[in-house]
Amino acid sequence: MSDSPSADTQATVVEKVFAFVDERVGLKLLAAKMLNESVPGGSRWAYVFGSILLFIFIMQAVTGVLLMFYYVPTADHAYASTQYIIHDVDYGWFLLGYHFWGSSAMVICVFAHMSQVFLWGAYKKPRELIWLVGLALFAIVMGFGFTGYLLPWDQRAYWATTVGVEIMDKMPLLGDFMSRFLKGGPTPGQMTLSRFFVIHVMVLPAALIGLAGLHLFLFRCAGPAGPFRGTPVELKAKTDYFFPRQIWKDVVGMAVVFACISALAFWEPVVLLEEATPDPGDYHPEPEWYFLFLFQHLRLKMFSGEFGQFLGSMLLPGLLGAVLVLLPFFDRNPERNIFKRPFALIGWVVLIVSILLFTVSAIINREYLD
Amino acid sequence: MQPQLKSKVRCADREVGEVAKVIMDPLSHEVSHLVVSMNGAGERQVSMGAVQTVTDDLVQLRSSSSEVMALPPFKREDYVTLHEVEIPGLERHIHVTPGEVLVPFPDLERNVKRRKFFANLTYVTGLFIGLPLAFPVLKYLMKPMYAPLDNRWLKIGNIGKVKVDDAGTQFKYKRNVKEAYMPEAEIEKNVWLVKATPPVLEKVYQGKDMEFRDATGKAIWTNKKDMPYLAFSGKCPHLGCGYKWRKHKILGQVFLCPCHLSIYDASGKVLEGPAPRPLDLLPIQVSPSGEVQIIDMEFKAGTKSQTRIV
Repeated sequence: MSDSPSADTQATVVEKVFAFVDERVGLKLLAAKMLNESVPGGSRWAYVFGSILLFIFIMQAVTGVLLMFYYVPTADHAYASTQYIIHDVDYGWFLLGYHFWGSSAMVICVFAHMSQVFLWGAYKKPRELIWLVGLALFAIVMGFGFTGYLLPWDQRAYWATTVGVEIMDKMPLLGDFMSRFLKGGPTPGQMTLSRFFVIHVMVLPAALIGLAGLHLFLFRCAGPAGPFRGTPVELKAKTDYFFPRQIWKDVVGMAVVFACISALAFWEPVVLLEEATPDPGDYHPEPEWYFLFLFQHLRLKMFSGEFGQFLGSMLLPGLLGAVLVLLPFFDRNPERNIFKRPFALIGWVVLIVSILLFTVSAIINREYLD
Repeated sequence: MQPQLKSKVRCADREVGEVAKVIMDPLSHEVSHLVVSMNGAGERQVSMGAVQTVTDDLVQLRSSSSEVMALPPFKREDYVTLHEVEIPGLERHIHVTPGEVLVPFPDLERNVKRRKFFANLTYVTGLFIGLPLAFPVLKYLMKPMYAPLDNRWLKIGNIGKVKVDDAGTQFKYKRNVKEAYMPEAEIEKNVWLVKATPPVLEKVYQGKDMEFRDATGKAIWTNKKDMPYLAFSGKCPHLGCGYKWRKHKILGQVFLCPCHLSIYDASGKVLEGPAPRPLDLLPIQVSPSGEVQIIDMEFKAGTKSQTRIV
């Protein structure tokens, strides 16, 4: 376990510096505590999504900071500065593309992570708090997607925001206030851009860093849940530590995600539409793909009229959110095996299938619009 | 109760030693084994199944002393201490201090080579992600850092403004700047002009024409040694402040920089203060009608030699 140098070899400078710091802060013990976390039942590929999300967030932060070297959040130059990044700055097209596709990767991995926790029954006692903080993190990720979409200030950005804020306006009591708060006025303009910018680059990152820290702390308090079947003896025989096998799987997952995002940034670079104006011209407004299902289901006849709108844009999503929040409190059966939890399994399948159906039908609907 | 460290251990026939260590099960959070120090005859690992009773300072075993002695010696390297492992809630279950409480190192983790191998693979994968980004990010950040030099002549006013010989006269001029995606903007700059008498000209040119060259070494312009007008860049060569033509109590009329009190005479020579080199001369031409033109140049401040940056 210990790899201390043998007596006849001289300690290198690195080893001396390490020993100096270790003597004062206990680095070895800290590293051991971090890495020697028992993973009941052993490491699995299914557990990689949390680490991958942390990795994607770090990359989004790095590329986001780099984009801010050139981007300006003003209505008269946001578009020009984004075009400048894409067309003039060396590798600007790649960094912007990476940031753009990184957000999609983030949403996909959030869905995968939540599904894994749900299917493994890992939200149950004593892990309710991890689940709740996780839901807040999910909301923050969607907030990142929504606010970031406006920043290039092209037609797509402007109209996605217009529609999104109109949906928020339908919230009871607070709706009008919230939509005016986000827009900084009655209609989208410079104030909206400033607000979305500061929310995207300051408020949400600070919230995400704090809550992700809390998420990890709570996770370490409760420990990993492990697989949902297997006797204690079987689990013990397969138990290993977070390092090296789980870290290795996590790192491979990160590398695969990095390669996928890079490939998308390379072969599907971001192309802006015309600069934003309150005149849509030939453009058919549409949100980013991960909001498409929300957008599409509002086209259904049952969600027309003022009450239908409220039902579709507020009540249904609100109910889904409430169910997710309350889940660990009304689902108190300790059974974690998904094949012995029929309602959970059916609920998950129905949700995923309907999201897929609405997303696909929104894509098919595009053809009828031209 | 849980067996206490340092408790005596007695077998069916006689006392054999004391409890040296306690081993916890990481999943059940219970004490699974005792490590008994055999009165100088090494250490043995005894399962809790062999324990009959536990009192404050005594652990009674069912087995005989010869059976315990026959157990294999305890292997410390198969275990880690509580400080080196993260098992939530384990500390709350143990009441056996003082001394060392151990947790078995998992069977799957005992191969040191694999741990090293995986650590190295992790670093390699990190490099796979980090290295391809290093160069693009550097190039991305460098885009505006090395703008090409501009050698256009700028009209800055009429020479009639210069009234006194060997004295500084400030000429303000506008210059168009196009930065990245911003629309073209005008910025205000200034140079100091001196109509020099022959002794001052001699100090400046020392009998030789002054040639200006671009980065590739191509000649841009030559200031003739007998042309009486001198144009000094408005930037102090010490640390880039704007200097003025002022009256000094002892030195008389001088160029004086208010930041760190560098003082120059009308030829630009340093009289006093921290400046490392004389004021920077610019290419200048004066038309027959008195129209003054210069090439707007800026040089790196704080160095002995001139390095052009604008």
